[in-house]
Amino acid sequence: MRDRLSFYILRESPIHRMNPLTKLTLVFSLILLAFLGPVEWLAILLFTTVILPLSFLAHVGREFLSATARLLLPVIGFLFVMQSIFLPGGGTALVQVWVLDITLENVNIAFVNATRILTMISSFLLLLLTTHPSALMSDLARRGVPGPISYTVTSTLQILPQMQVKAATIMDAQRARGLETQGNLMKRIRALLPLVAPLVFGSLVDVEERAIAIEARAFNSPRQKTSLVEIDDRPIDRRIRWGLILVVIFLLGSRLWLK
Amino acid sequence: MAQVTINNLTYTYPLTEEPALREISIEIQAGEFLAVIGANGAGKTTLCYTLSGFIPHFFRGELQGKILIDGLDTANSKLYEIVEKVGLAFQNPFNQISGSKFTVYEEIAFGLENLGLPRDEIRSRVEWILALTGIEDLAERSPYALSGGQQQKVALASILVMKPGVLVLDEPTSQLDPIGTREVFQVIRSLAHSGQTIILAEHKMEWIAEFADRVLVLDKGEIVRLGTPQQVLSDINLLSSGIGLSRYTRVAHRVNQQKLWPKGQRYPISLQEATEAFGRLLSQEGGSKK
Amino acid sequence: MNLINSIKKDFNTMTWVLIPVAIAINIVIGQFVVLLKLPVFLDSIGTVLVAVIAGPWAGALTGTLSNIIWGLLIDPNAFPWFPVALLIGFVAGWCAIAGLFKSWWRVVIAGFLIAITAALASTPIAVYLYGGITASGSSFITAFLIQTGRDMVSAVLSTNFLVEPVDKIATALLAFAILEGLSSRYLARFPRSENVAVAKGGRTTQLIVAVLVTVFLVALYALVFVRLIS
Ligand SMILES: Nc1ncnc2c1ncn2[C@@H]1O[C@H](COP(=O)(O)OP(=O)(O)O)[C@@H](O)[C@H]1O
Ligand SMILES: [Mg+2]
Repeated sequence: MRDRLSFYILRESPIHRMNPLTKLTLVFSLILLAFLGPVEWLAILLFTTVILPLSFLAHVGREFLSATARLLLPVIGFLFVMQSIFLPGGGTALVQVWVLDITLENVNIAFVNATRILTMISSFLLLLLTTHPSALMSDLARRGVPGPISYTVTSTLQILPQMQVKAATIMDAQRARGLETQGNLMKRIRALLPLVAPLVFGSLVDVEERAIAIEARAFNSPRQKTSLVEIDDRPIDRRIRWGLILVVIFLLGSRLWLK
Repeated sequence: MAQVTINNLTYTYPLTEEPALREISIEIQAGEFLAVIGANGAGKTTLCYTLSGFIPHFFRGELQGKILIDGLDTANSKLYEIVEKVGLAFQNPFNQISGSKFTVYEEIAFGLENLGLPRDEIRSRVEWILALTGIEDLAERSPYALSGGQQQKVALASILVMKPGVLVLDEPTSQLDPIGTREVFQVIRSLAHSGQTIILAEHKMEWIAEFADRVLVLDKGEIVRLGTPQQVLSDINLLSSGIGLSRYTRVAHRVNQQKLWPKGQRYPISLQEATEAFGRLLSQEGGSKK
Repeated sequence: MNLINSIKKDFNTMTWVLIPVAIAINIVIGQFVVLLKLPVFLDSIGTVLVAVIAGPWAGALTGTLSNIIWGLLIDPNAFPWFPVALLIGFVAGWCAIAGLFKSWWRVVIAGFLIAITAALASTPIAVYLYGGITASGSSFITAFLIQTGRDMVSAVLSTNFLVEPVDKIATALLAFAILEGLSSRYLARFPRSENVAVAKGGRTTQLIVAVLVTVFLVALYALVFVRLIS
């Protein structure tokens, strides 16, 4: 189980200084363009000429590549191979595997699908590597995401690691008592209950007191909340956001026009 | 007028038959320190929740009678109005952490953010309370990476920073080790000296003897005694209400059972009183032997 | 106005504090299941839990945030599937309002309805975002169905219909088991605690009926499924 709280890596870079909403706008622009852009190879173009260089500009290039290799290569590799082999429809056969033809057309489709997923997930990865989750949430809260929702997200970020530590402790304790976590299916199913029950009930029972504690601290006050942390939103951020929106509109428009 | 007035309060939790509090009436003056004692299940926690508005607003149930805090009728007010006047801290330090903040500094600021205070005011208040509770060195730590005693001090600071007129503490040290307990009581002591109105439910008689202006004894939801610590805590009849009196009192009682205690003299309730009383006893005995 | 009130009803402070715990339950149990190599996901138990005692809107929010946080912390591949999680919570909430979380055998039906929802919701994502064949193990089934001459959408749909029921019925039953283990005093703090009836007595008969309902549903389902395929 992971011990690090998130993907975030604290570094000094122009991308780190960028406002979280700007980065989020960038992510969604990239996704829209990869899937709906005027040409199919736009996805791979965006990955190689935008996302990858930005990751190095953000001084997280190495981490970006290793996370992409760990999380994405298996996914898109599998997708590419499976779709190349199994997609229906004829065309120019390249090779024959068993009874199946691998056609040029299918390899092409598989490649486009794989690169789209690559662009989609890796642009999120870039955001996550350069933005602390709580900075993202405070910025969104300031822009009108309801306070309780951002409470819920940041609270999960705290509670989850706690529960994972507890889970590991329980797991060790149960193993020490001879609980089988290997063996046949029935045994493993039966192993789940004693592992999970104490964890689940303990954390649920805590809910009542925590609700009282935050109400005692005016959680439900109807006043306009203050945010202690100030997150930079420079004029350049606003310009970048508008620029991105214009680019997206232009490229999506040109696709319609090309048709 | 008293800062807190409870008038003929009877309260029954939902899904239960018997009232958890019966016909409670008491007035608490500004700056007073009231200790609430009683066996497990006597109603201490229920009384704390009632004073801080969670009864009836959070727990619902059936409430009769009236609670006024600084003139605010709690049953007819919103909970978020009440919590600006009454601060509540309770037993489990871990569950009092809001869970949404990454440092102690931000954790303490949580209530003030919710109240919508300006940033500068929040910062100056947080720094003030960090100093008052002696936890400046924890400011940048994660609230989860602290000892129980430290967490409880953070919980206290998080409430005090909202400057409640009345502070309600429900057994704040019952889950702490002796070191944590001492640390928390040191904070409570300085609060008491600064004139903060405090209502404390507590088991540890030595500490009550030191601070309390008055002691209220609950038994099965009823007030059975109300008086100064000297009057109440030396009363051996309280043992039948399931209250563990201090060891000083119990030793004196043993001595009395052996007919060695001076007639009519009150039992000691603190180390100091015990030292004096037994000192006198020993010197008298020494005198009579000669 | 009615809609806003219905949404508002789901959220009190208990709900807000429960949601993070529920998300953590989703993730921790999900990871346990991977560790024990069980052939299910069981990654929405917390979502169903919230949906039942707080309501469909709270359930939908829990599902959505659960996927987002899974994406933030563990694997960004979770992001695109958030609509599925959203609908699981939403439908579980309405099942509960309709009284399907009041005894074991009804919970089986709820699990089944949740499964159908999940199957329907994940199909367009798999087809339009991933091109039909995704990265999960079940895409071998999809590939096979495509080779038997079915079109993409129905191949993906059939695959989902095949894999979801066991997982979601187990999810609903486990969520119900957790609820049965909590005191009614505790449950009463939540906005829709009336959705749960704590079973009193007759446990064995209840369980037998639940098993029978499961067997019946699965058999019926298999029959329809085979019809569809052949
Ligand atoms: N949430 C609740 N619902 C119903 N009854 C409760 C609840 N909390 C406490 N009680 C009951 O109220 C009585 C007083 O409890 P409590 O105030 O917690 O006592 P104390 O804090 O002195 O130990 C007990 O009989 C207890 O069982
Ligand atoms: Mg108590």
